Order: sequence, then structure tokens, then C-alpha cells
Amino acid sequence: MTAGAGALAGRGNRIITRGFDGRWDELEPLELPPAAAVVVGDNHDAARAVWAAATNDLEVLVASRTRVTPDLADALRGSGLALVDGEQVEGPTAVRDPIPGRVWLLTSGSTGRPKQVAHTLASLTTVAGDQPRRTWLCPYAHGAYAWWQVVTLSMAHPGQDVLFIEPDELDSWPARALEVGVTAASGTPTFWRQALYRDPQSVAALPLEQVTLGGEPVDQAILSRLTEMFPSARVSWIYASSEAGATIAVHDGRAGFPQEWLGREMEGRATLTVEDGELLIASPKRGEGIDQVLRTGDRVEIADGRVLITGRMASDEINVGGAKASASAVRDVLQAHPAVVWAAVRGRKAPIVGSIVTADVVLSGEASSADLTAWCSERLPDYSVPRRVRFLDHIPIKETLKSDV
Amino acid sequence: MSALSRDAIRTMMAEVLQAQGKTMPASDAANLEEIGFRSLDFSELALRVEDEIGDELNFDAPELRQIATISDVLDFLEQLQAA
Repeated sequence: MTAGAGALAGRGNRIITRGFDGRWDELEPLELPPAAAVVVGDNHDAARAVWAAATNDLEVLVASRTRVTPDLADALRGSGLALVDGEQVEGPTAVRDPIPGRVWLLTSGSTGRPKQVAHTLASLTTVAGDQPRRTWLCPYAHGAYAWWQVVTLSMAHPGQDVLFIEPDELDSWPARALEVGVTAASGTPTFWRQALYRDPQSVAALPLEQVTLGGEPVDQAILSRLTEMFPSARVSWIYASSEAGATIAVHDGRAGFPQEWLGREMEGRATLTVEDGELLIASPKRGEGIDQVLRTGDRVEIADGRVLITGRMASDEINVGGAKASASAVRDVLQAHPAVVWAAVRGRKAPIVGSIVTADVVLSGEASSADLTAWCSERLPDYSVPRRVRFLDHIPIKETLKSDV
Repeated sequence: MSALSRDAIRTMMAEVLQAQGKTMPASDAANLEEIGFRSLDFSELALRVEDEIGDELNFDAPELRQIATISDVLDFLEQLQAA
């Protein structure tokens, strides 16, 4: 076993998917080629593929059917993986020896075709030591880094049960979580915002001991709302990616991480630095072949002794007549308004000034466009104040649980 | 959608000013600088017009000109819709 003898110590943990409620080692066996990209329709398929790979030391990639375009399928076969979709198996178009224990992840592909990042169960298992007994909610997309984090936690540690939910259950999961006894849940800020907007009473009824956020910039407004809702829970945010691995974990309920963590070198921990406003990470949990010091493309700001991760370098800046507005800063100001549950900010091409700042907003209370303009005007320079505000009736959420804004 | 009338554009301009806590004067000869109607406000007004007519305005079409008064703004946006 590539991940080590103790890697499957959680084999007796309960996992619940649509159509399955049992232990890892009770999943129906799945026969896979020694190197396979497994296209899955739900978490039951995905769990079977992972278990088959883990117990037979196979090379595997797990991806949602919705992600695997014909182009990507060709690329995967060309990389030496057989493509397995249910009963259908298409052999690789490039012949090579399988790499036992290799786990491939796909990058988000936000800047082109997704890339394959090489991991193992060991490199994906980032939680060590004794863990309190918990039942986790896993709403993440099959095969995503965050999904693997929950999966490897459950396979490696006894007492870590998991309720998996599918993308079409994102509206109804609180009732199911209550029924199953979920005590820990991990999701993106957009996931949590949507949950609190849709059905705050059902979410508040959950006996959560651990609330985790990640996958998108985590702002103080959502941390504070969750801390108020679950006063006895630990509210954490995690910075992780396929390339860098899980590198930052913050448990004090505050956005950002302490400035003194910058430049700190500790055995087994990532070293964090900032260069030209960009977060750089040297992580022992990074994927194989990833630069030792990874330029993350994430913009950071240092304020009041905290390093805040605000958004993507490439998409954050809006040039308004030569002045630089930060989309993430505007979004955070809007989301701090008591009536705003979610906001997305972008530039819109405009005459004379090049671009102006616009916002899409979802409200949980009463606020007019003028109210939001006034709120922003008190907190932002005039060029950053959204000039067009569109009110949406629901929070747009993708299968990645992100808004991708 | 058809082009907006001069009166409709004038009403929108008043709304842009109002959102900035400013007032639209009665006279179209009023100087933009004096009433505090700036480039950003002009851009917002243009986008409001675009949203209303459901089409992009082509700012490359007309010749560049001095825009100093409310009347200039209204003339310009009328001309852009026709371009």
C-alpha cells in the first residue's frame, strides 16, 4: 500500500451516499485496469473507485462525468490511462507502465484545459494524529482536492464517517445531515452562503462541532455569521489546492492568517511568502513536479497584522480611468452589509473610463441600490463604488461549489 | 428596442446625479463641472442607456467633441444612438 500500512485504518468507517449506507470495506468491489481514469456519475461510483484503487495499489484519477469533455478524455487516454465509464472501458492511446499508488487530480482548468497533478494517498492525507469522532458532510465535486481531503481523512482515521451529497442535493442537504447526525461540515464560502440563505433554521439545527471553509477567499462576514450560528463549534478556514496541497489552516474565527507566519520555516509545514502582492508557497504537501516555491496566482493584502487572501491576481483588478479598483475589496464591503448575503463584483466595459465597477447581489433583507451605493461610498474610493447593481433572486453556484467570480 | 428620447436620457441623467447626492439643474446650459457630473457619471449614464435600448453604443462613430454642458451630453447620447 503506497500510503503506508495505517492508511486504511478507517476501513470500518460509515459512509453514506445516495444508494449506499455501509462501511468502506463493504462497498461492492470494482474491477479497474491498473491505470485508470474513472468517470463517475455520483459519490457511490467515486467511493468504489477510490476503494478499489486503495486496496489494489492502482493508479487512478476520479472525475465527475460533467467534467470530462471529449478533449479531456482524449488527453487522459493519451497520458496512459484507460478511460472507465460504468461498464465501458476504452484503453489508453499511449502505452506505458502503470504507476502503483499514483493518484491524479485535475486542476480547476479556469485558465484552459485542466492539468493533471500527481499525488498519492499519502500526500493527500494531510490530517495526522488522533481525531475526535465525527460525521462529516462532503459536498465537494467528485475527485476535487477538497473531496479527496475528506475521503482520505475518512479512510485513514477511525471514527471519521462521511455523508456525501450530490450537486442536485445542495438545496436539501440540511435535513439529510440532521437525520444522519453530521457533526462536521466543509464547504466553500459560496456553499455556506447559499445554505444560510436557503434554509438558515435547518442549518442552525445541526449539532456541528467543526465548520470548515475553503476553496475561495474566506471573508470575515461569513466567518462571523457561522461563528454566531455555531458558538460551540470550531470554525476553520483552509487554504488548499491540487498543486500546493493543504497549506494553511486557521482556527481563530478570523479572516486571513497572522502576519508572523510569513517567512516562518517549520518541519512539515508550508513556508509562506508574499512577492508583489502574490502569495508564494513552499509546501511539503505539494503535487509531484510542482515548483518547490509555487506562485499561487492569489492576491494578498496585509492589514492589522493579518494576511488576507483576497482573490485571483488576474481577475481582481478593475481599471477605472487609470485608478485600480479591487473586485474582491468591493465584494467584501458589499458582503459586510447586513442585508447582503452574497455579492459578485466585476468590471464592465464603459466609455471614457474604460471600465466601471458593477455588482450582482443577493439580499436576505431590505436594501435598495441607493442604500448599497451609500454603504460603499462610506467605505471605498469613489471609483470603486459599484455604478450598476443587479439584484438576483438566488446565489449562483457551480458544481465546484464556487461562484467563480 | 427603439432609441431613447432626449427627455428619457435627461431623466436617467438626473437619476445618476441623484445617486451621487447631487441635483439636476433645470437648465440644460448648466456646466457639468459646476454640477459635479464627472467622467464616471457619464460612463454610468452611457451604460444605463445601453441597458435600456439593449444595444451597445458605438463610441468610435461620432467625432470627438467638447462636452461641457448638460445639453452636450444629451446631444452626444442622442447622436450615438443614431450611429
